[in-house]
Amino acid sequence: MNKPLGPGPSSDREQTSSLTADLQARIARAKSSHEAAESAKAPSAQRDMSGMGRGLRLGSEFLAAILVGAVLGYLLDQGLGTTPWLMLVMLIIGFAAGVLNVVRTTAEMNRAASPSPDASGSRKDEQDE
Amino acid sequence: MADPNKVDPIHQFEIKDIFSLGENGPALTNSALFMIVAVVLIVGYLILSTQKRALVPNRVQLVSEILYEFVAGMVTNAAGKAGMKFFPFVFSLFMFVLVANLLGMVPFFFTFTSHIIVTFALAMLVFVTVIVYGFYKNGWKFLKLFVPSGVPGYILPLIVLIEVVSFLSRPISLSVRLFANILAGHITLKVFSGFVVTMGSLGFLGWLGALLPLTMAVGVTALEFLVAVLQAYVFALLTSMYLNDAIHPGH
Repeated sequence: MNKPLGPGPSSDREQTSSLTADLQARIARAKSSHEAAESAKAPSAQRDMSGMGRGLRLGSEFLAAILVGAVLGYLLDQGLGTTPWLMLVMLIIGFAAGVLNVVRTTAEMNRAASPSPDASGSRKDEQDE
Repeated sequence: MADPNKVDPIHQFEIKDIFSLGENGPALTNSALFMIVAVVLIVGYLILSTQKRALVPNRVQLVSEILYEFVAGMVTNAAGKAGMKFFPFVFSLFMFVLVANLLGMVPFFFTFTSHIIVTFALAMLVFVTVIVYGFYKNGWKFLKLFVPSGVPGYILPLIVLIEVVSFLSRPISLSVRLFANILAGHITLKVFSGFVVTMGSLGFLGWLGALLPLTMAVGVTALEFLVAVLQAYVFALLTSMYLNDAIHPGH
């Protein structure tokens, strides 16, 4: 860019394209050499990251459903004048919804974890124990 | 905190006016100030780092590209190609929460994600977007979200009720998770640091004993950085999963 008078624009472009090709080759080489290591490392790292996160997520899913159920029932009670009953019913329904949330979240996590049931994952598990 | 024996871990969450118009007029609180700081930081960083648009990115540009690709991958994984329509939304939420949590790790800075009203507002934004877009895209078919296929008719009312409560619980769990994580982490950090100060006031033996909570405080700080990033990730991931329900209702 600094010396537009020296080499013409065509040679400049040529130089850039050869540079790009060189770079692409180097990227491909680096990728192929790193890919194996990367794929072995990724799942275990993710599992470590989400250990506490998973627990907190399940807990909050469960709690939130119960809260929503109870509050919904309480508000309905206030509106209809059936004081304790709808809240009790909705509390139980909220409990069921909480269980549903937890089951769904767990199924999701299992699905997210399952695509790589390779040897490295199981080896990691054995090391942990 | 003049008295070293009196450590108040809640004090850091107090909202104060920086300046206000009139006695009860509109005010700029410290919470609002840090929101503005977060937005300015995000916008400034992203614009400045991507200005050169270099083919071979330097480190600054690379961070922006990694952030972009990370969120883009998350959105396409959870909501498919159609979900990329919501990429700006998810990316903004992710960056806002991430920068807010990380700003909160700086001493004396205010953490606005530790207030449930902030996280609840963000969660309601997601929730309302899902509902509005779901009805806009699918019409009444959006309600199929609440009717799982293959359920016998006599049990259907109960199942639909449970599904509705489960759906309504989403903004609560989304906001409570972020808020509780950040609040609990900051209180823990403050309590352990408070132990160091309190024990230190007892003299030499106290300083020796203070080594233990000091180590804990260092460990909790590291954990808090992890939590800050993880919670931003979880928030954005769940947002894209909920958006998936709006784009493709019916499991």
